[in-house]
Amino acid sequence: MDLSQILEVTSATDPGMVRSHNEDSIASDPANGLVVLADGMGGYNAGEVASGMATTVITTEIAQVLTSVQPNEVGEDGNILATRIVREQILKANTSIYQAAQNQPQYSGMGTTLIVCLFYDNKVMVGHLGDSRVYRMRDSAFTQVTRDHSLLQEQIDSGLITAEQAKTAAHKNLVTKALGIDPTVEPEIHEYEALVGDIYLLCSDGLCDMVSDEDIGMTLSMLGGNLKLATQQLVQMANDNGGRDNVSVILVRVLKEYPAARGVMSKFFAWLK
Amino acid sequence: MKSGFWKTDWFFGLVVALAILLLGYSDQLQSLERKAYDLGVVSTARAPLDKIVVIAIDDVSIARLGPWPWSRGIHAKMAEILAGANAKVIGTTILFSEPQNDPGSQYITKLLEMAGGTLATPPSATEAAPGADSTSPSALPPGELGQFVALLREADNALNTDRRMSESFSKARNVVLPMLFTAGEPGPKQGKPLPEYVTRNAIAGGQPGQDVQLLRTSAVRIPAEPLGQAAAGLGHVNSKPDVDGVIRTEPLALLHIDRLYPSLSMMIAARSLNFGPGDIKVRPAEGVSLGKLQIPTDPSLQMYTHFYNDRDGKPAFQADSFFDVYTGKIDVAKKYRDKIVLIGLAAGVGTASATPVSTVMYPVFMVAHTISSILQEHFFVAPNWGWGVEKAVFLLIAIYLTVLLPRLGTGPAIAFTAAIVAALLIVHSILMTSQGIWVHLMVPAVLAVTGHAALVVKRLLMGGPAKAGSDASGAESSRMLGLAYQGQGQLDKAWDTFRELPLSDPLMDNLYILALDFEKKREMPKTEAVFRHMAGHDPKYRDIETRLSPAKPSSETVILGSGGGHKKANMPGEGRSAEKMMLGRYQIEKELGKGAMGVVYLGKDPKIGRVVAIKTMALAQEFEDDELAEVKERFFREAESAGRLAHQNIVTIYDAGEEHDLAYIAMELLKGGDLMPYTKPGSLLPIDKVISIAIRTADALGYAHKQGVVHRDIKPANIMYHLETDTVKVTDFGIARLTDSSKTKTGMVLGTPSYMSPEQLAGKQIDGRSDLFSLAVSLYLMLCGRLPFEGESMGRLMFKISSAPPADILAINPNLPLSVVAFLNRALEKEPDDRFQTGEEFSAALRASARAVGATQSASERAASVVDIQL
Repeated sequence: MDLSQILEVTSATDPGMVRSHNEDSIASDPANGLVVLADGMGGYNAGEVASGMATTVITTEIAQVLTSVQPNEVGEDGNILATRIVREQILKANTSIYQAAQNQPQYSGMGTTLIVCLFYDNKVMVGHLGDSRVYRMRDSAFTQVTRDHSLLQEQIDSGLITAEQAKTAAHKNLVTKALGIDPTVEPEIHEYEALVGDIYLLCSDGLCDMVSDEDIGMTLSMLGGNLKLATQQLVQMANDNGGRDNVSVILVRVLKEYPAARGVMSKFFAWLK
Repeated sequence: MKSGFWKTDWFFGLVVALAILLLGYSDQLQSLERKAYDLGVVSTARAPLDKIVVIAIDDVSIARLGPWPWSRGIHAKMAEILAGANAKVIGTTILFSEPQNDPGSQYITKLLEMAGGTLATPPSATEAAPGADSTSPSALPPGELGQFVALLREADNALNTDRRMSESFSKARNVVLPMLFTAGEPGPKQGKPLPEYVTRNAIAGGQPGQDVQLLRTSAVRIPAEPLGQAAAGLGHVNSKPDVDGVIRTEPLALLHIDRLYPSLSMMIAARSLNFGPGDIKVRPAEGVSLGKLQIPTDPSLQMYTHFYNDRDGKPAFQADSFFDVYTGKIDVAKKYRDKIVLIGLAAGVGTASATPVSTVMYPVFMVAHTISSILQEHFFVAPNWGWGVEKAVFLLIAIYLTVLLPRLGTGPAIAFTAAIVAALLIVHSILMTSQGIWVHLMVPAVLAVTGHAALVVKRLLMGGPAKAGSDASGAESSRMLGLAYQGQGQLDKAWDTFRELPLSDPLMDNLYILALDFEKKREMPKTEAVFRHMAGHDPKYRDIETRLSPAKPSSETVILGSGGGHKKANMPGEGRSAEKMMLGRYQIEKELGKGAMGVVYLGKDPKIGRVVAIKTMALAQEFEDDELAEVKERFFREAESAGRLAHQNIVTIYDAGEEHDLAYIAMELLKGGDLMPYTKPGSLLPIDKVISIAIRTADALGYAHKQGVVHRDIKPANIMYHLETDTVKVTDFGIARLTDSSKTKTGMVLGTPSYMSPEQLAGKQIDGRSDLFSLAVSLYLMLCGRLPFEGESMGRLMFKISSAPPADILAINPNLPLSVVAFLNRALEKEPDDRFQTGEEFSAALRASARAVGATQSASERAASVVDIQL
């Protein structure tokens, strides 16, 4: 079904105040309920190649897959297909990037973080790798949906350091999982209920390193009525606080319910839409 | 990509459908319907009624019997001939509307009056009543006067043709005559009412109120009175051609003033069945009935005539020449008995019309076709439900255009549309030929075709500029996609993607690699095609000039880092002439392998002939401009402090420098490799050897720590070992420091921190004791092939390192001496204060535990290693 009237999507990406080029890459396909954000790493332009490949490959391939498959259907293995779609396409992108990095010296060692959100059937499937994040604003509660794959997060989780110490830690940006670094990767994929009125924020660490969660939450609750403005404001805040890294923001608001078509007739009508 | 709904395919389809709906009433589309109708009529094979014969007043007859119009005497004689042949009905299309009086006839009449004034001859008038002549012969006066009167009578008979004709018509009793109405609304001033001999032909039934759609007439030309009186019936010969001038229908009845008059064909058909006008009944909005015959018509009582096609090259109705019949060449009694005989003009003097089967058809033949249609029920019907069906089909096709078509691929779309059009044509044709039903299906067919064509054109026009206007980001994402294909090994797909893109510098790099990939697969034509494509942008790019020239590539010396910008400096290993490349003062011999941050080369200092290992780090790649200066400074500081370290178990640093953003360290070239191969279960080194290596490493670390240098990344991969010479050297001092200091950049993926000390994991300040912890982890691994701290996740692992005791090594390798186990337990304490504090302490303790090993085992077995250890 076409979700472009159901999801309001705004996005912005900015090189920040210090970096000369933008290694972040964002893509959205509201009709298919898909938003992707990647924060590349690697020398020269390799970072933007990795993130660009990730967003391009994943949006293209998922759009392709969705022409023949409904994400809410249940596969032979008893799992919902959306999980498989997201996982398989992430793995495909991983192989592509890894091989490109292996074959082409100028891309050697490139990799990227990744956030993939696929909205379907009143749900959202979130796949991620690395330290780019998804937050959710529901009613007035602002929560972080993803857990970073970073050394810092591991340290916090294992109780080695506190969240307070983490803010001043030296190695904030060492990620423990990323796309395109190894021949295989195990992305973290979870499904969440998406309610009408929810606002989902996808961002690269350029935002959450520069702006505190409280400030981001406050901005969203104040400007949530105007997503475009909120997007610009978030980028502006990151830049005002120093803008040391590329900053990318995607905001998705659920405008209506979007249950998947189930009966034959409703499937047919959904197809017509 | 957002676009207004007016650019969507469905909206476009809707517009086309509406346009065709409006145009559907236009002449062009309706003429298409008519053409289809004509085609249906022509292809309907039915036999004409053989009861109908036509006597044609053709050019031959006119040539022989005198110029047209003929004297009515001729017609009268013909009527007599036919009556004698017992024809069933005689019909003619010739209008006898004016009395035909020979100028001499009037005088003869007057003379007769004078002569007969006293002879009691009946009142003689031009309009002689039937039977007027019956009294004459008996009343002849005798003598010369009688002869004179007889002659006058004969002359009167010969010249008063109208009377003769009416007499012959009366005798025949079955002659039907035409009348011609003028179409239009009757004017306010009505002429005198029609005579009774006309009105008696009016049809019963058709009453005002239901006549809204009936064809109306304003005036009429009727047969002259004696003829009309003598005729067995009158019928109109009006017909209403379509806008293209072709006559397809027959108005079975026309409204004049307030009466309905049947057509000539209808009248003849009725007479042929022995019916009169009263038996013709009009069923409003349905049709006309004649006895058992039901003739459906359109609301204006027009019947779709079946015009019979020529059969075997012969016309449907064979005509006899009037002259032949008139002169008795034809056996009329045999041929015309009980036939419907039609007489009419079929020569240049008559007017002909076009019909679906012929462009020139004289009215008499049209009447023949019509009578045959009526009597055999061969007419076509445009049923009332036809309109609904047409609109429904139209709607379905409109839905097809707006909904289905935009979703179909090019091939299926064409097939589908073609199938629809074919189905419409077939249905149309079958309905026409077998059921005689005409449904307008051509407008829907036109809609399908034009809608499809319009959509194709629209996509060409709208899709075209959109493609051309694809912005840089579109090209960029295509390049990414191409890279992805290349990464997946789909080289052809990658090539197809790349070749569509405008050539740019980054794309040139990608293409170059793609060409090399093709070359690897020995697909030479494709390799060359890629190079040629690239040459179009920059013929001097790298070595494509030589690759494309037929001559062998010359071996040029490529000075590393010179002349091509730093991009090329990053890939010295890739060129085939790597041995000639220079880095600083070192000549690069070959690539040794890949290190943490860059490639390691075998280099040679040409001045002193020393062979060195050159470790490169593409700092500019790894760090952003804002950090680069700081990182460089730190790099050289680290290199300097590492360079101060002179120890037999530490790799000697000779030199450090940078060339075009490529930083490098020239160091002692070692034989052998790192310790990684000896860490897997099954390929472990003997215990004493492992302990000996650890002792020497601890000594080296102790030395470095005294110099104030902490390694930070002790692990088997950073300890070089040569089995044959039993040499141990610690490498990469200080480089670990460089890598984890990247502050804001999304950094490299960290390997599993299996060797990290708890304090290092917690991000605290670390000292030499952290290195010793890492060494103990390495030792543990090399002793049993397993790590002391393992976790299925990073979190578990980190928890184990920081809080859990090391795994029980005796459970893995029960043969280990307890002294070594005790040593490891202390070396792996969580608190740095609880461990060995210095390298010396560490190595001394290890030596002590090793001695304990020696004591527990046979001296002969251990002799060699004890000597080693005591060194």
